Amino acid sequence: METLGYLIDGFGVALAPHNLMFALIGAFLGTLIGALPGLGPANGVAILIPLAFTLGLPPETALIMLTSVYAGAMYGGRISSILLNIPGDEPAMMTCLDGYPMAQKGKAAEALAISAIASFMGSLIATIGLILLAPLLAKFALTFGPAEYFALFVLAFATLGGITGKNPIKTVLAAALGLMIATVGIDSTGTQRYTFGVLELYEGVDFIIAIVGLFAISELLFFIEDRAGGGKGPMKVNKLTLSFKEVREIMPSSIRGGILGFIAGVLPGAGASLGSFIGYTLEKKVVGKKGYFGEGDPRGVAGPEAGNNGASSGALVPMLTLGVPGSGTTAVLLALLISMNITPGPLMFTQNADIVWGVIAALLIGNFLLLLLNIPLVGIFVKLLSVPPKYLLPIVTMVAFVGIYSISNSAFDLYFMVAFGVFGYFLRKLEIPMVPIILGLLLGPEMEKNLRHTLDIADGDWTALWDSGLAIGLWVVAFVGLVLPYIVGPILRRRMNATQQGAE
Amino acid sequence: MTQRNDRLCGVLLLVLAVAYGWGATQFPEPFGGAESVGPETFPKVLAVVLALSSLYLIVKPDPDNAWPKGRIVLELVIAVAVLIAYTLLLQPLGFIISTLLAVGTLCWRMGAAPMRAYMTGAVAGVVVYLLFTYALNLALPLGVFSVLEGS
Repeated sequence: METLGYLIDGFGVALAPHNLMFALIGAFLGTLIGALPGLGPANGVAILIPLAFTLGLPPETALIMLTSVYAGAMYGGRISSILLNIPGDEPAMMTCLDGYPMAQKGKAAEALAISAIASFMGSLIATIGLILLAPLLAKFALTFGPAEYFALFVLAFATLGGITGKNPIKTVLAAALGLMIATVGIDSTGTQRYTFGVLELYEGVDFIIAIVGLFAISELLFFIEDRAGGGKGPMKVNKLTLSFKEVREIMPSSIRGGILGFIAGVLPGAGASLGSFIGYTLEKKVVGKKGYFGEGDPRGVAGPEAGNNGASSGALVPMLTLGVPGSGTTAVLLALLISMNITPGPLMFTQNADIVWGVIAALLIGNFLLLLLNIPLVGIFVKLLSVPPKYLLPIVTMVAFVGIYSISNSAFDLYFMVAFGVFGYFLRKLEIPMVPIILGLLLGPEMEKNLRHTLDIADGDWTALWDSGLAIGLWVVAFVGLVLPYIVGPILRRRMNATQQGAE
Repeated sequence: MTQRNDRLCGVLLLVLAVAYGWGATQFPEPFGGAESVGPETFPKVLAVVLALSSLYLIVKPDPDNAWPKGRIVLELVIAVAVLIAYTLLLQPLGFIISTLLAVGTLCWRMGAAPMRAYMTGAVAGVVVYLLFTYALNLALPLGVFSVLEGS
C-alpha cells in the first residue's frame, strides 16, 4: 500500500494553510471563469498561469491553485446552462436538457445544488480512479523507449480532435503548425532554426504567450464581432429546499455517470463532452419510462454533470502519467508543469512524488471546497455573472496583458501575444482547432528529441519507429483515432443534436 | 455556400510548408559533421505533413464561415489597434493612464456608455495597480505619475 502512504503525504502538502488558501482562491476564480459564457476552462487557466508566476508561487502551490481552477471551471459551466439554457462550455450542453426545465419550474436552486452534488460525486469517483490507475500506468510507461514515446505523441495528436471532431485533417494541420512554431529557436545541437536573426526568437516562442494570445485575445475579437457585449439577460434563483430523500435519489445516477465519465476521460479522444453525453443517455436508458427526462428530471442533471466532472478528472491520468494531455485544459496544465521545469510523465511519480500526490490530494480537497462553496454562495456567482461582457472582457484582457508583461517586462512579448490573438481569430474562422497548435508547441521539443534518439540508436533506420509490438499498437490506435471520426463522427454528432432537439 | 476560405488557406499553408521545408535544407552543418539525423530531420517531416494536409484542404474544402462586414471589420481593427497602442503607451504613460484609455475604449466600443466605460477603465487600472504594487510587490510602470513617487 505504498500509494496510501504517498497519498497521506500528499494530503500533508495540500492541507498546508497557504496551499489550502490558494486552493480556495482557485476554486472561486475557477467557478467564475467556468460560468462566464465563452470563457472556458482552458482559457481561464491560461490567463491565470502568468499570475501564478508573478506571485512567485512554489510549484506545488501553483499547481494546486490551478487544479482547483480547473475543477471549479467544470462546476461553473453549469450555472448558465441551468439558469439561461446557455452552456458555458461544450460538456455543459447536456446539463441544459433537464437543468433549464427545472429552472423554469422554479427549481433553479435545486437544479444547481443537485448538479453540485453530482459533480462532487463524479469528481470523487474519478479521483479515486486516478489514484488507483495512475501509479500502474506510470509503472507501465517506464518500459517505453523513445520510439514508443514518439508513437504516443502521434497518438495524442491523432485522437485530440475526439471521436466527435469535425475534420481530422484540420487537426493534423494544426498540430503541424504548432510543432513548426516549436522548432523556432536554437536546437539541441546549437543550430539556429527559423530565427531570422531576431534576438527574441533565439530561445523559441514562449508557449504561455501563445496560449494567452490564442485564447484570450481571439475571444475578445469574437465577442466584438458577435456584438455580444450586452450580456445574456437577468438571472434569478429561488430559495433552496432540497430534502435528503431527493439527494439520495440522484446518488445512483451520479455514481453511474461518474464511472462512465472517468473511463471517457482516460481514453484518448473521448473527453468530457462525450462523458456527459454518455452519462445522459445511459440515465435515460436505465431509468426508462419512470423518468421524465427533458422536462426537468433531477437525474437528467445528475448523470451528465457527474459524467462531465468524472471525465475532467480522468483526463488528468494520461497527462500526469504519460505527459500527454487529452484535452485543451489539461494541455494548459501541462504548459504550467513544463514552465516550472517539471517533466511530466512516469518519472514524475518517482522524482516529484510530493507534487503529484499533493495535486491529487488537492483535487479531492478542491472538490470538497467547491461543494461547500457552491451551495451557499451560488447567489454571489449569479450576481457576478450578471456583469455584462462589455465590462468584463476588456478587464480580463487587461489582466492577461499585465500577466504576460510581469513575466518578462518586454513589449515584444505583448506584440507577439496580440499577433497570436489575431492569428487565433483567423484560425477559428477557418475552423482550425487551436488546441493541437498548443499541444504541438508544448510537445514539439520532446517529440523531436525522441525521434532523434530513435534514429540515432538505429543509425538512421526509420523502421525503428515501429519496431516493437507496443509501438505498432500505438501507431494502430493513432491511425484508428484519425480515421474513426470520418465514420462514427457524423452519426454521434447527429445523435447528440437529436437528443438536444428532442428535449426542446 | 462557397468554399474559397479553405482553398485560400490551403494554398497559403502549402507555400509555408514549401518555404519551411526549403529553410530546413539551408541549416548550417552542425559542429562535428553531418549525421544521419540532424536539426533538419524533424522540420522536413513537418513540412511534408503540412504540405499533404494543406493539399487535402485545397482538394476537399469545408464550407465557408461568414466573414464580418463593414463596420464590424472597423470595430475589430480598432480593438487590435487599441491593444497595440496599449503596449506602446504602457511604458511612457504608465500603467494607470494607459489602462484607463485601453480598457475604457474597449468597453465603450463593445457597447458601454462612454462615461461608464472610462470609469471602469480608471477603477480597473487603479485597483490592479494597487494590487500588484502592495499585495504582490511587483512594479508596474508608473509613467507620468512617477513625479509623485519622489515626494
